[in-house]
Amino acid sequence: MRRLAHFAILAALLLVALPGAALAQVRSVEIRAPRAFGYFVGDLLRVQVDVLVDEGFAVQAASLPQPGPVTYWLDLRSITTESTAQGDARRIRLNLIYQSFYAALDARALEIPAFTLTVANERPEGATTAKAQVPAWSINVSPLREVQPPSREDPLDYMRPDGRAKALDIEPPLRWAGTFAVLALLALVLLARDRAWAPFGRRRGRSFAGVRRTLRRLAARPDQDAAYREALIALHRGLDETDGRRVLADDLPAFLERHPGFRGQEVALARFFTASRRAFFGRETAAARSQWPFAEAEAAAKNLAAAERTARG
Amino acid sequence: MNTIRHGDAMLTDWREAASRFQSEVGKAVVGQERAVRLVTIAIFARGHVLLEGDVGVGKTTLLRAVARALGGAYERVEGTVDMMPSDLIYHTYLADDGRPRVEPGPVLRKAEDLSVFFFNEINRARPQVHSLLLRLMAERSLTAFNREYHFPDLQVFADRNRVEREETFELPAAARDRFLMEIGMEAPRDSQARRDLVFDPRFHDTDTLLEGLQPGIIDHAAVGGIANAIQHTIQAAPEIEAYVVSLWEALVRPAEAGIRLPGVDMAALIKGGASPRGLAFLVRAARVRAWLEGREFLVPEDIRDIFPEVMAHRVFLEPVYEMRRDTIVPGLIRAVFETVPAP
Repeated sequence: MRRLAHFAILAALLLVALPGAALAQVRSVEIRAPRAFGYFVGDLLRVQVDVLVDEGFAVQAASLPQPGPVTYWLDLRSITTESTAQGDARRIRLNLIYQSFYAALDARALEIPAFTLTVANERPEGATTAKAQVPAWSINVSPLREVQPPSREDPLDYMRPDGRAKALDIEPPLRWAGTFAVLALLALVLLARDRAWAPFGRRRGRSFAGVRRTLRRLAARPDQDAAYREALIALHRGLDETDGRRVLADDLPAFLERHPGFRGQEVALARFFTASRRAFFGRETAAARSQWPFAEAEAAAKNLAAAERTARG
Repeated sequence: MNTIRHGDAMLTDWREAASRFQSEVGKAVVGQERAVRLVTIAIFARGHVLLEGDVGVGKTTLLRAVARALGGAYERVEGTVDMMPSDLIYHTYLADDGRPRVEPGPVLRKAEDLSVFFFNEINRARPQVHSLLLRLMAERSLTAFNREYHFPDLQVFADRNRVEREETFELPAAARDRFLMEIGMEAPRDSQARRDLVFDPRFHDTDTLLEGLQPGIIDHAAVGGIANAIQHTIQAAPEIEAYVVSLWEALVRPAEAGIRLPGVDMAALIKGGASPRGLAFLVRAARVRAWLEGREFLVPEDIRDIFPEVMAHRVFLEPVYEMRRDTIVPGLIRAVFETVPAP
């Protein structure tokens, strides 16, 4: 804003001439622009319009010009208003940004169209409105190049050479990529440790992870009764390993007491023990299998593995 | 798969009788549920029982209550240091007419109807008496007056206290091996039971207390048949057979099974014992427990539940460890069960 003021005031128009009491409420209209000449196609015009009005008046938003095309060669890009007190008057400042699309062939003056603002003073006994005329003003536009350039052999020569771009430094991105790769690997190692994957397959406190793998392998066996019995044995060994002692069916409440993390699996464990009893000691493997199928054993192993991860962290 | 077998209904009826028997005995002996249960198992396994524990914890009361609820003839003798085997068999005295008489002693008096024979303070009797008892327990027979007596329903209950050592004789290993169980009794831990025992006058007079029990809940003459039926009905899967054999192996050779006890050289701990007869008794008693639990097959819990009482006294330690037996053997048994996998 201050920078703008440094430029010459290009146009100033004092509207005091018009007669009538109503117009006295708009004291002056001033238009400031950085320069009046030297605009090329695509240039932005930053224009400041100061309207000095009596205290109590405010601009009516509906009367402001709308951003968008103004003429075929001119667009209004944006408009903002601010209102400040100045002595006994009020200064309404409009900040307009125009963009010129005029592809000039020679230097010439073009007119920015005028517009009218409505200012109003809202009072309990009624509203007073007044109009402020922002007059048309002109800028000088110039061509970018000569109309008839000297002829060249190669049409490519009409093009200006590309500017020299600075080569990008790939060192920092590479370093970052390396850092993140290491972090990702570390996270993978931690995940593998948590899930008891390959190198941590036999780690303490992850007995059921191994049981789960065993059961997955057994599921493919052709002899289902034998596989089922082996699955039950694997689950038994998982429980034994978790507890550090042999866990029999009657020990289930004590086991849950010692390992409260598995309390959520109580029903599944009870069914497992019942099935195991029937299969091994009642010699009714088929009956046990129909009562507690292999799929349920696998689900139980999965849940137990999850419980064991949350139980020990 | 559950085929209805002949005799199942009979076994169910008997199971109910057994639980009535336990609750009736439990009226007289409070806070000793485990001892009562083990005695019940011993009765249906046709095994002899040795009770041991402190003075005044109710060993004799328990045995008298059992004898009353079991029905049948019973005799009791008190072990003394001057007791001889002949004192059990005959009794000599001068009759009113001044002539000497020889009458059958406590064992023979009820002749072959004898179902419960009490031996109080068995460790006060001499080894000669123990040998007589050995035959009586092992073969349920006795030779006297030039003939052989048979006691088909006989069960020997003995008790001893652990407090004194003077004027006592340690039972020979062969005699101890004939007892199915050695049940240790302690005063109840439950504070309500303790309060009752001390303040309830009902428990102060043992005779009246026992008279309040319903006699003969179990027909002692039929127990033998039922015991056989139980042994034939309760199935032992190959897994349980393997389990028992592994337990045996681990008990006798704990070092090879990987068992470690603090302050014990495992390779030089066990001197011997754990006889095949002991193992047979173990399975017998476990089958009865399975039957009491209402199952038709053995599970490892049956073995584990009765193992200490059936097996602990059959394990003989090297002399250097024998004095610490009370801590080593229970620790060893616990370790065996924590080590041997089932199934």
